[in-house]
Amino acid sequence: MLVGLVASAALALTACGGGTSGATGESAGPGAKAAQGGTLQVLANAAFSHLDPARGFDGGVNNFYRLIYRTLTTQGAAPGADGTKIVPDLATDTGKPSDGGKTWTFTLKDGLFFETGAPITSADVKWGVSRAWDPEIGIGSPYAKQLIEAPASYQGPYKSGDLATIATPDAKTIVFHLKKPYADFGSVVAQNTFTPVPKGQGAGNALDSKPIASGPYKVSEYKPGASLKVVRNDKWDKKTDDVRQANPDAFQWTFGLDPATIDERMIAGQGTDADAIAGTIQAATVARVQTAQLKQRTMSGLGGCTTYMGLNSTKKPLDNVKVRQAINLAVNKQTVRDAVGGSTLAEIATSIQPPTIAGRVDYDPYPSPDHKGDVDGARKLLTEAGFASGFTMTLDTRAQPKMQAMAVAIQQALEPLKITVKINTIDTATYYEVIGTTSQQHDAAITGWCPDWPSGATFLPPLFDGRNITAKGNSNLSQLNDPGVNAKIDEIAKLTDVKAANAAYGELDKQIMALAPVVPLLYEKVLMLVGSNIGGAYLHDGFSGGIDLVSVGLKDSGK
Amino acid sequence: MTASPTLVEVEEAVPSSAPPTSGRRILTTVTRDKGALACLVFLAIVVLMAVAAPLITKLSGWGPYQFDSAAINSDLGGVPHGSLGGISGSHWFGVEPQNGRDLFARIVYGARVSITISLSATLLTGILGVVLGMLAGFYRGWIDQVISRLMDFLMAFPALIFMIAILSSLPSGNRPVLLVVVISAFGWPYLARVIRGQTMTLANREFVEAARASGAKDSQVVFREILPNLRGSIVVMTTLAIPGYIGTEAGLSFLGVGVSPPTASWGQMISSSVSWYSVDPMFFAIPGLFLFLTVLSLTVLGDKIRTLIDQGEAA
Repeated sequence: MLVGLVASAALALTACGGGTSGATGESAGPGAKAAQGGTLQVLANAAFSHLDPARGFDGGVNNFYRLIYRTLTTQGAAPGADGTKIVPDLATDTGKPSDGGKTWTFTLKDGLFFETGAPITSADVKWGVSRAWDPEIGIGSPYAKQLIEAPASYQGPYKSGDLATIATPDAKTIVFHLKKPYADFGSVVAQNTFTPVPKGQGAGNALDSKPIASGPYKVSEYKPGASLKVVRNDKWDKKTDDVRQANPDAFQWTFGLDPATIDERMIAGQGTDADAIAGTIQAATVARVQTAQLKQRTMSGLGGCTTYMGLNSTKKPLDNVKVRQAINLAVNKQTVRDAVGGSTLAEIATSIQPPTIAGRVDYDPYPSPDHKGDVDGARKLLTEAGFASGFTMTLDTRAQPKMQAMAVAIQQALEPLKITVKINTIDTATYYEVIGTTSQQHDAAITGWCPDWPSGATFLPPLFDGRNITAKGNSNLSQLNDPGVNAKIDEIAKLTDVKAANAAYGELDKQIMALAPVVPLLYEKVLMLVGSNIGGAYLHDGFSGGIDLVSVGLKDSGK
Repeated sequence: MTASPTLVEVEEAVPSSAPPTSGRRILTTVTRDKGALACLVFLAIVVLMAVAAPLITKLSGWGPYQFDSAAINSDLGGVPHGSLGGISGSHWFGVEPQNGRDLFARIVYGARVSITISLSATLLTGILGVVLGMLAGFYRGWIDQVISRLMDFLMAFPALIFMIAILSSLPSGNRPVLLVVVISAFGWPYLARVIRGQTMTLANREFVEAARASGAKDSQVVFREILPNLRGSIVVMTTLAIPGYIGTEAGLSFLGVGVSPPTASWGQMISSSVSWYSVDPMFFAIPGLFLFLTVLSLTVLGDKIRTLIDQGEAA
């Protein structure tokens, strides 16, 4: 998924953060054991994009959805790599493939109920999944539509009725027929679109204002853009759920707070703010949380996304691979990192895939001392390419101080090569629409990408498969259409061993970087300050580094 | 207002044909007033900084866009090393957090932006205000109706909100020019109103009647008779407008619709310093002080000139 969605959610709200310390049961700090009960506060800037599971699709809502929704499988609830392991949720296992991986069968557990008291049946899961084909509703996770066989004219259950390719032989069994074999389908059914919705319900915007819960909490009060409260769903049975601890009795979100205000409140930690969590702190706050007392309340870890600069290979002179390589060599990643808040808020990126991805190889194809940029090496490449006298290029950036600061850092780094970078600031609301429209994007753009689950399958093909270039909503910003890369993507897709496929994606990463279609800039980190009464908090690798909401709680719930 | 004996003396020394207030008399009086002199000196320094910006930064050794990673602490979110925002022998005013750009160089180049934009806007509003004000006041009738309604319309507008709306919807392009045009578009009616009223009064005075009777054309009456008598008002109005425009430019840059980065601007510096106020107060204090002193100096000086011209006219 696009990092923008995540960034706005993380900035805002949601739950970013997380601790490297983990839930190891120490007596102090955010990792301490959480008690049951109490109301956990969440201070946030931006509200959730959608409450409807078929619409929302970013690190922030994905984390939140686990409180109110359940899917066939889900990601683990633990720090580190265990958090990104796929485990059964509504289903008894992670799926049984047949027909060479083209047909997948899942069996539902016993004792599953919606908040209304109605049992969750395979027909409800099917109804929920088929909503993804509705052109107005299915704007979230695209995987169901991409992988499951369906008539080309199918437009969701409200318009087109039943989808024959998902079979429900009985109330507990659901069978998916795919377009072609897919080895990792057990991970796909953890996507939000596999949330059950009671058959016949959820048309239009119904779920966006009043979700129908299948998880441990249900929405009790929702004021869009202002606040959201979830309380226990007494129809949820802990015995059917090995993932969710569901410690607090309620979660209370407050949206629309200024990021600086959130930081001040978290530092002060007065009153109910002691029971609060919030998003990543501002760069200016980093120096203030260095006291021993506050340090105990901070958590940090990788966000799981890559921030990069896409180089449009259809524009001159960026169509020349040597020019793109020269830019890769010359960019001073130290100054780019400082622009977003320094070493505590970001790590320097050298490969396309972030470190949280399985099978990722750590390598640096365009090395320079301290990542400060190799101007001489770059100049040599430019001279070979015939651009020793430089050129002018336009860099698209979002109208957001952090993004502009990164653009200025890149502008400075390329100046010695006589490359004049013109910064084109685009309004935040329309940014992704503009750069995703091939006729409107300029030479370069700063953006990011987060994996939908930690596999190269959700990272490299969406960004570099040349056959996926579309006139609108294009995510292949470099418009790279390399036969070698395309062939390799097809080859990996045929692998039935998920491990071997992930390792192959690690190699594909190198193959792509040799063509230098992008400049990997940063793996941004989350640095959060949590209230002194927060326990059981850890960073979840699968949710852009957010605090795992299904495990967090209050140390003393009597407060 | 009582004219001091000195003033009367000066008046007497000037030939009676000269206009009531001469530039030289204003200058002598201002230089005798310590406060006004201090303002004048400060403004001279700011203007000098703006004019000689490239030379000054060559002397200080750091350009306005040059990054200095060594001057900031990457592990602490990019705060400048050292106390007082990194003030040192090589960075005279310290550095900007997160990138280490030299604040002195950015202040100097920021002065360029502030001065150029405010002076251009003043010039443009001056021309628009005087021309349209005189047209309305001299010809009256339907011309006056059209211009006066346009002025009412523009003055009734919530100007700041409209400026923000226009500037954020326009494509980036040449920001300084856009700023000047937008500021002037909303600024000229204030001058034009005063000019129109005074032109109306002057047009009925005996010397204008006399000029007309002796066969002077409209253009001669306007340029030889009326305009010289409006000089005092124009000088006062424009002097007092400059600090207003500097403030507007800084305000618009603060709100993120002014000049675009990396161009240095005081308003923008203050805007980006807001989140750093507690860890690096100097980042806020330095551009804030320059903006404050510049606006204060211009206002004090403008006030002084107005007093002198009023006295001159009374004398």
